[in-house]
Amino acid sequence: MSTRHSHRFTAYALQGGDFGFASGRHGGPVVWAAIIAMTCLLLVLLQQVLWLVVPGLLALILYYLLHGPTRALVMRSIDPAPAATLVMGLFLALCAVLGILLLPMAARNLLDWQGSIERYLNGGLQLLDRSLRALEAAWPALARAELADGVAARLAQVGTSLIEYLEPLALALLTALPTLLLAPFLAFFMLRDGARFRRFLVAAVPNAFFERTLCLLHELDRTLRAYFIGLMKLTVLDTLTLAAGLWLLGFDAPLLLGLICAVLAWVPFVGSIFGGLLVVLVAATDFPHAPEMAGWAAALFVFARLLDDFVYMPATIGRSLHIHPLITVLMIFVGGAIAGVSGLMLVLPLLGVVMVVGETVGRIVTDQRLRARHRHARLLRRAQAEVDLVAPG
Amino acid sequence: MRSWFRKARLQRSPLRGMSLFADLGARELAVIDALLHRRSYVADEVIFDEGEEGNALYIILDGEVAIVRRDWPGDGVVARLTRGAFFGDLALLDNLPRSAQARAATHCHLAAFFRDDFFGLLETHARIAAKILPPLVRHVGLRLREAAGDKAAQHL
Repeated sequence: MSTRHSHRFTAYALQGGDFGFASGRHGGPVVWAAIIAMTCLLLVLLQQVLWLVVPGLLALILYYLLHGPTRALVMRSIDPAPAATLVMGLFLALCAVLGILLLPMAARNLLDWQGSIERYLNGGLQLLDRSLRALEAAWPALARAELADGVAARLAQVGTSLIEYLEPLALALLTALPTLLLAPFLAFFMLRDGARFRRFLVAAVPNAFFERTLCLLHELDRTLRAYFIGLMKLTVLDTLTLAAGLWLLGFDAPLLLGLICAVLAWVPFVGSIFGGLLVVLVAATDFPHAPEMAGWAAALFVFARLLDDFVYMPATIGRSLHIHPLITVLMIFVGGAIAGVSGLMLVLPLLGVVMVVGETVGRIVTDQRLRARHRHARLLRRAQAEVDLVAPG
Repeated sequence: MRSWFRKARLQRSPLRGMSLFADLGARELAVIDALLHRRSYVADEVIFDEGEEGNALYIILDGEVAIVRRDWPGDGVVARLTRGAFFGDLALLDNLPRSAQARAATHCHLAAFFRDDFFGLLETHARIAAKILPPLVRHVGLRLREAAGDKAAQHL
């Protein structure tokens, strides 16, 4: 898979996102250096509070998903606060019903999760072994090098240690699970008090920069909304495409597998690779006597990714955004180097936000007239405050 | 009891009696009030400049504002606006550059209506928008007629 297949935000940006060189908003080199430096700094800082970043991101997604229904209620003359309460209440009720329905199945699978992982890993190892032995049969040079035996021995070693690592990882994930409950809590307050919070923020801005700040907040909201709503639509389309293909191939639980792959694709590079591997592992394990099924599954996965990049992405996330491809790709590498997988996930949304803020601040700082007006206003206020301080005579 | 307090608060709303919101009820005024940004300016402070990109309409809650144009004869003051008047309305309908400078003539309190909030209101509260638009359009029409009259006078 090429880098284009890895991440929605990359392609979103590559296809012309609002982040960056949009609508004539070119920052100078100094502004751009500051934007990149600030993005890197924020990545380092956010890594320290990852437990808050993940629920924060989920809360943003939930906010933008529920914003439409809340707005629809407001249009029917319901006040924003009760509308937000009603929509969030209905969403939580739906989650509760789904949870009650799915809990028995999830509990059954959780009890045997380690066994399932071992089974799928063994299925994958057997497929690899069969493929290597077929290669050895075709090329005697490979047989003389005992390629299949060597790889099998190494992978068996890696597989054992992988399972040793999986248990603490799963426990750590379970420990972090309660923080995810913050997501609906945060989303509710964003829905209910978002406008009030925006007014509170803007009230702190000096008069000279007031209108620019309003535009900046509006642009940030529009950009994030376009991205997250587009991402959700894309995930649904990816899930349905993969599920339909896997169902035609005869896989068990195709919808669940499609959904896992679509969600994994949120993580640039690594996510797509894991998604592809997962499909192949499931094919190798569930169809041990039909090795060609793994090939079909891999082909389906590649087809779904191509469809995603060239058809779904332009239709959902859109072509209205602009970012330079070089910066996008470089920043993905920088994000990965600074903060690992979380950096890969966060770097582009973060760059988008910092870019909008950075360019607006850059325009304000370089606008001599606005700064002069601000200085003038400060002098006027100071003069007004000092009136009558000195006694006459 | 809570609704009584709310109603009493709305009766005291500074927006009540403003020409732009003359036809709105208490509940509708509360919707508008939640969208406005209150700003205060000291005398002689610039509110916006001529030629600047316009993004908001301003309503005078208290004080006096001078509308100034560079090409205007005399001290350049085109108009002096007082409580209840509004300005910057062209920016609300179209993001054209401001046609004049607005400057606080005295210490004043303004309420700013951001353009995108206004368009959001058109979408979510069509009834309120239908009550605001006529006075707004009348005001724009009046200004256009005045501008046309000035131009004709200049030609004569």
